[in-house]
Formats: sequence, structure tokens, C-alpha cells
Amino acid sequence: MLSAAGSVGLRAGVLLGAGVTLGFAGNALRPDGVALSTFAAPSSCSVADPGAGAPAVAVFPPGEAVRLCGDHGVLIADARSSVEFAHGHITDAVHLPCIASGAVAGAALARLAGRHTLVVYGDSTDDARPVARELGRRVGRPDLRIVVIDGGFAAWSRAGLACSSGRCPDCQASERRSVGPP
Amino acid sequence: MMAALLLVARLALGGLLVVAGALKLGDPSAFASEITNYQIIPSLAPYLAATLPATEILTGAGLVALPRSWRRAAALAAGGLCAMFLGATTLAYLRGINVDCGCFGAGSGPITVLTLLRNLALLGVALLIGLGAHRK
Repeated sequence: MLSAAGSVGLRAGVLLGAGVTLGFAGNALRPDGVALSTFAAPSSCSVADPGAGAPAVAVFPPGEAVRLCGDHGVLIADARSSVEFAHGHITDAVHLPCIASGAVAGAALARLAGRHTLVVYGDSTDDARPVARELGRRVGRPDLRIVVIDGGFAAWSRAGLACSSGRCPDCQASERRSVGPP
Repeated sequence: MMAALLLVARLALGGLLVVAGALKLGDPSAFASEITNYQIIPSLAPYLAATLPATEILTGAGLVALPRSWRRAAALAAGGLCAMFLGATTLAYLRGINVDCGCFGAGSGPITVLTLLRNLALLGVALLIGLGAHRK
């Protein structure tokens, strides 16, 4: 014979178990149910199409993008890993990998206040473009020009343009506070 | 007086759980993404997204509609859910993860101290109902 506490626990288990069973059954029956075994959460970098409201992104070759350096109205964001950033990055660039979100991305967006251009670069043109579009979408400023450097940092380096290296003070925080898979 | 307070608490917590569960039913994949963002056990996210809404609805409905002999059990189940929500939101807050709480489906807003206090209050209400039902 069950004690009173045991009986309560058993009944609570029955309630929760029934909910779980109903949940699985409902998920299996609905066409838009979540894929249990193959589900992968999207990150800002894996969003193929941010939607109709996504801002236009211009692609500049390094020789053209370098003219934006030194302009206080321009924010440069490096979308690569912290290791690559530490090995070398464009002078004054902020580290903003695609996994960054929350406080780090918020701080980067805050730095866009009063600026007219956002320049994003990565290892290649294609891996910087979704970060640029996502940042532009979050900012929601039609007057903000968004530029991606064609060929990424490799092309910039090959062109012999100004860069710097060293420890990245923000990298640890950006990785710790990331919210999506790399 | 106490009986009236318990009735109000039961209806309020039960109703809130039903509404919260129903709002999460809209887009299970989006809800799974929100759970993943907590970075606690990401591999469990799709399973939680599939089962949590129904569990909340059933527990909430149980609190409101089940006979007295089942009320403590429903309160215990609700308390378990509230404790889980409180633990997850507290961990995300302490780790500095800026994540949408997903408490009431999409667009629930970020986790703040108010979110934690609300979850703590809901846990307290579940305990109150459980203890009150015990004394009956």
C-alpha cells in the first residue's frame, strides 16, 4: 500500500507522463512538428534568407574598402574566430563572430549609433554576408550603408593593406556569451 | 478566507500554465531554437519543445479541474515545472546569456530579474496550493 506522499508523487508522475505522451503524439501528427532526431537550431550565420526586410549589402574589393578606414563614421566588424582575429585583423575592427549574440552583439550595435557605414569581413565574402545582413536587420536603419569586403581578410592581407595583431580583449566574452552553435 | 485564497491561486496558476502551454504550441521548431539558446542541454531541446506545451496544458488543466484527491499531485507537477523554469532562467541570467525566455511562446522578451522573480513567485504559489490541499 502506498503512503500518502508516494500516492501524490505517483499521481504527479502520471500527470507529467500523460503530458509527455500527448506531446510526442501531437508532435508526430502535426506536419510542422519539430524534427526530434535531426533538429538543428539556426544561428545568425546559418540563416539563408533573413526575409524581405533584410538590408542590401554592398561588396567592396579591399582596395576600395581601405578608403573607409580612419573614417569615424565607419565601424569595421571581424566575423572570424578569436584565434584568427588575434593573429591579425584590420586596424580598429571589433571582433564579432557569427556565434556572438546577446551582450556582445548588443554592444557592437550600440557602437553603430551615429555612424553611417558598417564594414564586415570574414574568411571569405560568403561567410561575412549573412553576419552583415543580420546586423543590418537588427539595427533597422535604412540610412546605414552595409559593406562586405570581397575575399575577406585573406584578400585584404594579400593586397598588403593595414592590419594589426594581438590578443583580443573582447573575444573571451563574445565566446562565453554566444547563443548559437558556431 | 484560506479556502478562497487557495481557489484563486489554483485558478490563476492553472490558467497561466494552460495559456503558456497553448502559446508555445504555435511553432515547435522556433520553441526548440529558444530552448537551444539556453545552452543547458541543447540535444534535449527538440524533445522538450515537443512535450513541454502539452505537459503544461495538462498540468494547468489538472490544477483547475481535477477532483480534490488529485490537487496535491497537480500542484507537485506544477511545482516541478516551475522549478525547472526557474532553474533554466536563473542559469541563463547568471551566465550572461541574452536569450529570449520563450516563457509564453515567441516574442516573450529577454530574461530579466523580473522573469526570475515571476518564476519564483509561481513556484511559491504551487507550493502554497500543495500545502493547502494537504491540510484539507
